[in-house]
Formats: sequence, structure tokens, C-alpha cells
Amino acid sequence: MEMMNELLEKYFRGETSLTEEKELKKYYSTGKVATEHEIYRSLFDVFKEEKNETAISPFNKVIPKQKRITRIWYQAFGITGIAATIALLLWVKLPQDNTNYAFIDGNRNENTEFVQHYTLNKLNRVNRMLAKSMNPMKSFNHVRQNMEPIQNISEIKDKMDDIHNKLKFKKTRI
Amino acid sequence: MESTQFNTQILNHSDKLFRLAKSILRDVDAAQDAVQDLIVKLWEKRYMLDEVENIQAFTMRSMRNLCLDTIRQNRDMDELPVEFEYIELNPYQKTELKDLASKVKRMIDNLPELQRTIIRMRDVEEMDISEIAYITLLTENAVSVNLSRARQKIRDQILNEQKKVEDTVWK
Repeated sequence: MEMMNELLEKYFRGETSLTEEKELKKYYSTGKVATEHEIYRSLFDVFKEEKNETAISPFNKVIPKQKRITRIWYQAFGITGIAATIALLLWVKLPQDNTNYAFIDGNRNENTEFVQHYTLNKLNRVNRMLAKSMNPMKSFNHVRQNMEPIQNISEIKDKMDDIHNKLKFKKTRI
Repeated sequence: MESTQFNTQILNHSDKLFRLAKSILRDVDAAQDAVQDLIVKLWEKRYMLDEVENIQAFTMRSMRNLCLDTIRQNRDMDELPVEFEYIELNPYQKTELKDLASKVKRMIDNLPELQRTIIRMRDVEEMDISEIAYITLLTENAVSVNLSRARQKIRDQILNEQKKVEDTVWK
């Protein structure tokens, strides 16, 4: 406990070695942390979490559930994108000799991995642009959904009139 | 530099480059674009990379320089002094902030660029002080000073948060 106190103080003064910092991380990754040290757990958790962060590829982006029209557009663009990628990857990768190449910015490139990386990033950029251009459609859907109760007003009015008439009828009978 | 060498020494470290770019630019899309731009630039100059002693440190330094250039060129992303920095939170972010880990992330993101870059290179990427000094163009002593300041600021803010929680409980 005393040793951990000293180590933490040293850490916050920026005087710990990499080995000592690894020891601290190990201490916080186990369940047995002293109550007084619990307060800094989230800090070390954040470091651990950020270490696992990777550049997002176009394939692991989750498209949120939306109204049918928007989904159809997404699906159409998505399928086209995936088909284009598969075609490109097959074209670049299938025959494993150096006779395959792609042109990037007018330059011939035979590095398969580089071309794959480049293509995925370009597709990712297109995906982002499409998502942004779909934003007005999302707003349109949102407005349309919020307008639905207004469309029911005439229906509500009819029902109220109906109740009112029935009440009138009852009154006359009395 | 041959293609295979380029792939193992640069392309395979693109996640690390992305994390650095994201920390500096504080924007996922801009960070991805920056990584892509750097990789293309390095590929075009790959024959000159044979002369570089530590490729990874050189790549990280280039990544930081490119991000700082992006900030300079784009006024919207301009780095504000942290005391004047104010970001309006949406309701989702407000809920998320209740979680202490999210608060800590935000604390790191609100540090000045140099301090947040240094704390992440050290505590996330586990890099040597000498390597960080090379990447940031500082002396090793200056890196240690900035690292200590960054950690101390985060510690103070965590303690403040804890005090706030305790105050709420006792009220």
C-alpha cells in the first residue's frame, strides 16, 4: 500500500520509468485496488481503452435504423460500394504476381496492401460524404413524424363533435 | 524503401498514427483524412526513407506536423487557449459525461495540444521520453515538465470531481 502511494506520487510528478508505469497499469487492471487508490482507476482505464482504438474501416460503421426511404438509399449506395470494393480487391489481389497494379493519382502502384488501404480510406470518405448528404432527409423524416399528430386534429375534432352531439341529444331527452 | 518494408514499418502502424492525429485534431474524420494524406506522401517519398534511422518516430513526427499544419490552415479547428475553450454539449454528451471515464477523456482532450499529445504518447503508446522529445522537437527535460503538468492537471480535476460527488451526497 505504502509503495503504491509513493509510486502514484512519483507518477503524477512525471518521474516514473516505463517499467514502473507498467506496474501501475497492472495494479489497476486487477480487481484488488485499495479504496484510496480507486479514484484514479478511471484514468488508467481510459489509457487501456484508447490503446485499443483503431482507425475505422468502412465496414464496421453502423448505419442507424431509419425510415424506409432512407434505408433503401443507404442499401443501394452500400451495395454498390461493397460490390465496387470486392471487384477492386479481386482485381488487385487474385493473381499473386507483380503484374497487377493500380493507378493512384496517375502513378502506377503494385503494392497490394497499399492499394487496399488507399481504397478502403477512399470508400470511407465516400461513406461519410453520403451520410452527411443524407442529413437533410433525416430532418425531413423527423419533421414528417412530428407532423403526424397535427394530421389527426380533424379526426379528434370529429370525435369531439360526435360526443357533443350525443350529449345534446341526452339533454333534450331529459 | 521496398514495398514490404513500407507495409510493415508504416502501413501496419496506421492505427497508432490515427490515435495521434485524433488526439491533436479532436475529430475522427479529420484524423482519418490526415493519416491517409500522410501515408500517400510517405509512399511517394519512400526511396528517401532509407536514410531515416527511426522510421516509427519519424512517421509520428511527420503525423504531428501535418496535423498542426491542418489546424493552422483551418480556422474552424484552431486551437484555443484551454481557459477560453467552451464546447456546447448536446443532451447525449451530457448523459455520457456522468460517467467518470468519459469525464477523464474529456479532461485529456481539453489539455493544450502539446500536453495531451505528450500524455497520450507516454501513457497510451508507452513511448520513451527520448522518442517523444524527437517527435515534439523538445528537449527531454521539457517533455518531462509537460508530462508532469498534464498529469497534475488531470489529477486536480479528478479530485475536484470526487469532491463534487461527495458534496452532493452530503447535502
